[in-house]
Amino acid sequence: MNGWLAAACALLLVGFLPALLGICTGPVRRRVLAQNLATVLAALVMLLLSQGYARPSYTDMALVLAVLGPVGTLVYERLLGEELRASRPRPLVTRTMTVLGVAPVPAVVLPVCVAATPGRTTLKLLFIGCLLVAGSALCTRALTTPPGGGGSDGR
Amino acid sequence: MGGDLPVVVALLLVAVAGTAAVLARDPVRQAAVLAGLGLALALLFAVLQAPDVALSQLAVGTALTPLMVLLSVRKVRRKARSERREEHE
Repeated sequence: MNGWLAAACALLLVGFLPALLGICTGPVRRRVLAQNLATVLAALVMLLLSQGYARPSYTDMALVLAVLGPVGTLVYERLLGEELRASRPRPLVTRTMTVLGVAPVPAVVLPVCVAATPGRTTLKLLFIGCLLVAGSALCTRALTTPPGGGGSDGR
Repeated sequence: MGGDLPVVVALLLVAVAGTAAVLARDPVRQAAVLAGLGLALALLFAVLQAPDVALSQLAVGTALTPLMVLLSVRKVRRKARSERREEHE
């Protein structure tokens, strides 16, 4: 067991487990926000695992999750839009969830980039990182737009 | 023993998510818990070094299952609402 696997275990216990508990309890909006957070954290854990097992092809899982995770979260936004926008979240909640969903991404992607063999793998890792940041920020924004405002996606 | 730690942690997460999915009663909330269970299962498969299984689990668990549950919930609600309106008229 090397440092990367230990880091993956730590991220699972410190990051993913609380997000999972957030999914399992509370009102619908909190569950969906926590699900968004859990998606990002799971993708990061997969990056750490691919480095820990020394299998660069495992990053494909993180790539698929980075694409599908926001899709899964936006399904809720589309089908439960009125319910989610019925109450306005506090700005503190919005800011905290945005920071929580974005901050761990560079903290994990950059060390993995440095440790991986330079070349196409680095580019792929950076691409996954960008996708994760963009998806997480977009979902948090879509879920916390106040009623009446927003609608930037032109629906 | 040290090499088994990720497997133990992933199994613990699957156990937590599975129990919560059974205990959730409202379908909308259960869809969110099911998505979390899908993520935990995908992580378990990744830790067991089965990336192909994890990929298909991700595709089904994160996007398809919640979509189907939510679509059915919406259809049932809409039907109930239109039936109530007909009763009033």
